[in-house]
Amino acid sequence: MPILKGEDILKIIPQRAPVVMVDTLYDVSDDSADTALTIAPDNIFCRDGVLTESGIIEHTAQSAALFSGYGYYLKGENPHLGFIGEIKHFDIFCLPRCGETLNTHLTVLASAMGISLVTVIVLSESGEVAKGQMKIFIKE
Amino acid sequence: MEKTELIKKINSAMAEEFEVEESVFAPEADIKSALELDSLSLVDLVALVESNFGIKIKGTDIALVKTFGSLYDFIYERIEK
Repeated sequence: MPILKGEDILKIIPQRAPVVMVDTLYDVSDDSADTALTIAPDNIFCRDGVLTESGIIEHTAQSAALFSGYGYYLKGENPHLGFIGEIKHFDIFCLPRCGETLNTHLTVLASAMGISLVTVIVLSESGEVAKGQMKIFIKE
Repeated sequence: MEKTELIKKINSAMAEEFEVEESVFAPEADIKSALELDSLSLVDLVALVESNFGIKIKGTDIALVKTFGSLYDFIYERIEK
Protein backbone atom coordinates (compact mmCIF):
# COMPACT_ATOMS: atom_id res chain seq x y z
CA MET A 1 0.00 0.00 0.00
CA PRO A 2 1.65 3.27 -1.08
CA ILE A 3 2.18 6.16 1.29
CA LEU A 4 1.84 8.62 -1.59
CA LYS A 5 1.26 8.33 -5.31
CA GLY A 6 0.35 10.28 -8.43
CA GLU A 7 -0.46 13.96 -7.99
CA ASP A 8 0.36 13.82 -4.26
CA ILE A 9 4.01 13.21 -5.15
CA LEU A 10 4.13 16.71 -6.67
CA LYS A 11 3.60 18.18 -3.19
CA ILE A 12 7.04 16.83 -2.30
CA ILE A 13 9.30 17.05 -5.34
CA PRO A 14 9.93 20.26 -7.27
CA GLN A 15 9.96 18.62 -10.72
CA ARG A 16 6.95 19.01 -12.99
CA ALA A 17 5.73 17.30 -16.15
CA PRO A 18 7.22 16.17 -18.42
CA VAL A 19 10.22 15.41 -16.21
CA VAL A 20 8.49 13.79 -13.23
CA MET A 21 10.37 10.49 -12.90
CA VAL A 22 8.90 9.01 -9.71
CA ASP A 23 5.23 8.35 -9.10
CA THR A 24 4.94 6.30 -5.91
CA LEU A 25 6.38 6.32 -2.41
CA TYR A 26 5.86 2.93 -0.79
CA ASP A 27 7.86 3.17 2.37
CA VAL A 28 10.11 5.61 4.16
CA SER A 29 12.20 5.54 7.32
CA ASP A 30 14.95 7.72 8.80
CA ASP A 31 17.54 6.33 6.41
CA SER A 32 15.75 4.49 3.62
CA ALA A 33 12.87 4.66 1.17
CA ASP A 34 11.13 2.56 -1.46
CA THR A 35 9.84 4.33 -4.55
CA ALA A 36 8.47 3.40 -7.97
CA LEU A 37 7.86 4.68 -11.47
CA THR A 38 5.70 3.14 -14.16
CA ILE A 39 7.34 4.10 -17.43
CA ALA A 40 4.75 5.73 -19.68
CA PRO A 41 5.24 5.23 -23.43
CA ASP A 42 5.51 9.01 -23.90
CA ASN A 43 8.14 9.44 -21.18
CA ILE A 44 10.66 11.97 -22.53
CA PHE A 45 13.56 9.76 -21.44
CA CYS A 46 12.36 6.83 -23.59
CA ARG A 47 13.98 6.04 -26.92
CA ASP A 48 13.02 3.13 -29.17
CA GLY A 49 10.72 1.68 -26.54
CA VAL A 50 13.19 1.61 -23.65
CA LEU A 51 14.09 3.97 -20.83
CA THR A 52 17.52 5.49 -21.46
CA GLU A 53 20.41 5.63 -18.99
CA SER A 54 19.75 9.31 -18.24
CA GLY A 55 16.14 8.46 -17.39
CA ILE A 56 17.25 5.76 -14.94
CA ILE A 57 19.64 8.16 -13.23
CA GLU A 58 17.00 10.89 -13.12
CA HIS A 59 14.58 8.42 -11.54
CA THR A 60 17.08 7.58 -8.80
CA ALA A 61 17.82 11.27 -8.19
CA GLN A 62 14.13 12.08 -7.90
CA SER A 63 13.66 9.11 -5.60
CA ALA A 64 16.31 10.68 -3.35
CA ALA A 65 14.52 14.04 -3.63
CA LEU A 66 11.26 12.35 -2.67
CA PHE A 67 12.91 10.73 0.33
CA SER A 68 14.39 14.03 1.51
CA GLY A 69 11.27 16.00 0.68
CA TYR A 70 8.98 13.74 2.66
CA GLY A 71 10.50 15.02 5.88
CA TYR A 72 9.80 18.63 4.85
CA TYR A 73 6.30 17.61 3.74
CA LEU A 74 5.54 16.21 7.18
CA LYS A 75 6.66 19.54 8.65
CA GLY A 76 4.33 21.40 6.29
CA GLU A 77 7.13 22.97 4.25
CA ASN A 78 7.37 23.40 0.48
CA PRO A 79 9.63 21.06 -1.51
CA HIS A 80 13.33 21.96 -1.56
CA LEU A 81 15.56 21.80 -4.60
CA GLY A 82 17.96 18.88 -4.67
CA PHE A 83 21.11 18.47 -6.72
CA ILE A 84 23.19 15.46 -7.68
CA GLY A 85 26.68 16.25 -6.42
CA GLU A 86 28.34 13.11 -7.70
CA ILE A 87 27.49 9.72 -9.12
CA LYS A 88 29.90 6.91 -8.21
CA HIS A 89 30.08 3.17 -8.62
CA PHE A 90 26.90 3.34 -10.72
CA ASP A 91 26.16 0.30 -12.88
CA ILE A 92 23.27 0.01 -15.33
CA PHE A 93 22.56 -3.61 -16.21
CA CYS A 94 19.64 -3.26 -18.62
CA LEU A 95 17.30 -0.69 -20.10
CA PRO A 96 13.71 -1.39 -19.01
CA ARG A 97 10.93 -1.33 -21.58
CA CYS A 98 8.20 1.28 -21.61
CA GLY A 99 5.25 0.03 -19.58
CA GLU A 100 7.46 -1.64 -16.98
CA THR A 101 7.60 -0.41 -13.40
CA LEU A 102 10.84 0.58 -11.72
CA ASN A 103 11.00 -0.33 -8.03
CA THR A 104 13.79 1.43 -6.23
CA HIS A 105 15.26 0.97 -2.78
CA LEU A 106 17.34 3.84 -1.47
CA THR A 107 19.51 3.83 1.66
CA VAL A 108 21.42 6.73 3.16
CA LEU A 109 24.95 5.53 3.93
CA ALA A 110 26.18 8.75 5.54
CA SER A 111 25.50 12.45 5.75
CA ALA A 112 27.80 15.40 6.42
CA MET A 113 27.56 19.15 5.92
CA GLY A 114 24.28 18.94 4.00
CA ILE A 115 25.51 16.22 1.62
CA SER A 116 24.05 12.72 1.75
CA LEU A 117 25.72 9.66 0.29
CA VAL A 118 22.96 7.30 -0.82
CA THR A 119 22.99 3.87 -2.35
CA VAL A 120 20.22 2.87 -4.78
CA ILE A 121 19.05 -0.41 -6.22
CA VAL A 122 16.60 -0.33 -9.12
CA LEU A 123 14.57 -3.36 -10.15
CA SER A 124 11.91 -3.90 -12.81
CA GLU A 125 10.15 -6.76 -14.55
CA SER A 126 13.35 -7.10 -16.60
CA GLY A 127 15.36 -7.83 -13.45
CA GLU A 128 18.05 -5.74 -11.82
CA VAL A 129 18.20 -2.46 -13.73
CA ALA A 130 20.84 -0.48 -11.87
CA LYS A 131 22.68 0.02 -8.62
CA GLY A 132 25.09 2.62 -7.42
CA GLN A 133 25.84 5.51 -5.16
CA MET A 134 25.03 9.19 -5.45
CA LYS A 135 25.80 12.26 -3.42
CA ILE A 136 22.77 14.46 -3.03
CA PHE A 137 22.72 18.04 -1.87
CA ILE A 138 19.40 19.51 -0.73
CA LYS A 139 19.18 23.29 -0.82
CA GLU A 140 17.79 24.59 2.48
CA MET B 1 41.04 -2.91 20.15
CA GLU B 2 44.46 -1.42 20.88
CA LYS B 3 44.91 2.10 19.59
CA THR B 4 47.89 1.17 17.38
CA GLU B 5 45.85 -1.59 15.80
CA LEU B 6 42.96 0.83 15.30
CA ILE B 7 45.23 3.39 13.61
CA LYS B 8 46.52 0.70 11.27
CA LYS B 9 42.97 -0.25 10.34
CA ILE B 10 41.93 3.39 9.78
CA ASN B 11 44.99 4.10 7.63
CA SER B 12 44.45 1.01 5.54
CA ALA B 13 40.79 1.89 4.91
CA MET B 14 41.63 5.51 4.03
CA ALA B 15 44.46 4.50 1.69
CA GLU B 16 42.12 2.24 -0.23
CA GLU B 17 39.15 4.65 -0.34
CA PHE B 18 41.10 7.78 -1.26
CA GLU B 19 43.87 6.06 -3.24
CA VAL B 20 46.75 7.64 -1.36
CA GLU B 21 49.92 6.26 0.20
CA GLU B 22 49.74 5.59 3.94
CA SER B 23 52.88 7.71 4.34
CA VAL B 24 50.74 10.88 4.16
CA PHE B 25 48.90 9.91 7.34
CA ALA B 26 51.13 11.73 9.86
CA PRO B 27 49.17 12.42 13.06
CA GLU B 28 49.71 16.18 12.77
CA ALA B 29 48.90 16.35 9.03
CA ASP B 30 45.76 18.14 7.89
CA ILE B 31 43.19 15.59 6.71
CA LYS B 32 41.50 17.74 4.11
CA SER B 33 44.79 18.65 2.43
CA ALA B 34 46.30 15.18 2.57
CA LEU B 35 43.19 13.46 1.21
CA GLU B 36 42.23 16.40 -1.02
CA LEU B 37 38.78 16.45 0.55
CA ASP B 38 36.20 19.00 -0.54
CA SER B 39 32.69 19.52 0.80
CA LEU B 40 31.42 16.67 -1.40
CA SER B 41 34.05 14.10 -0.49
CA LEU B 42 33.89 14.76 3.26
CA VAL B 43 30.84 12.51 3.35
CA ASP B 44 33.03 9.67 1.97
CA LEU B 45 35.18 9.93 5.10
CA VAL B 46 32.07 9.81 7.29
CA ALA B 47 30.79 6.75 5.41
CA LEU B 48 34.19 5.05 5.73
CA VAL B 49 34.33 5.58 9.49
CA GLU B 50 30.71 4.56 10.05
CA SER B 51 30.90 1.40 7.95
CA ASN B 52 34.30 0.24 9.24
CA PHE B 53 33.88 1.04 12.91
CA GLY B 54 30.12 0.88 13.44
CA ILE B 55 29.79 4.34 14.92
CA LYS B 56 27.37 7.08 13.94
CA ILE B 57 28.83 10.49 13.26
CA LYS B 58 27.07 13.82 13.09
CA GLY B 59 28.21 15.87 10.10
CA THR B 60 29.01 18.78 12.34
CA ASP B 61 31.30 16.59 14.49
CA ILE B 62 33.48 15.47 11.61
CA ALA B 63 33.98 19.11 10.61
CA LEU B 64 35.83 19.61 13.92
CA VAL B 65 38.28 16.81 13.16
CA LYS B 66 41.21 18.57 11.51
CA THR B 67 44.20 16.22 11.69
CA PHE B 68 44.74 12.48 11.42
CA GLY B 69 45.66 12.45 15.09
CA SER B 70 42.33 13.98 16.05
CA LEU B 71 40.55 11.52 13.76
CA TYR B 72 42.24 8.58 15.50
CA ASP B 73 41.23 10.01 18.89
CA PHE B 74 37.70 10.72 17.67
CA ILE B 75 37.17 7.11 16.59
CA TYR B 76 39.01 5.57 19.53
CA GLU B 77 36.91 7.46 22.07
CA ARG B 78 33.68 6.40 20.45
CA ILE B 79 34.69 2.77 20.06
CA GLU B 80 35.73 2.63 23.68
CA LYS B 81 32.25 3.79 24.72
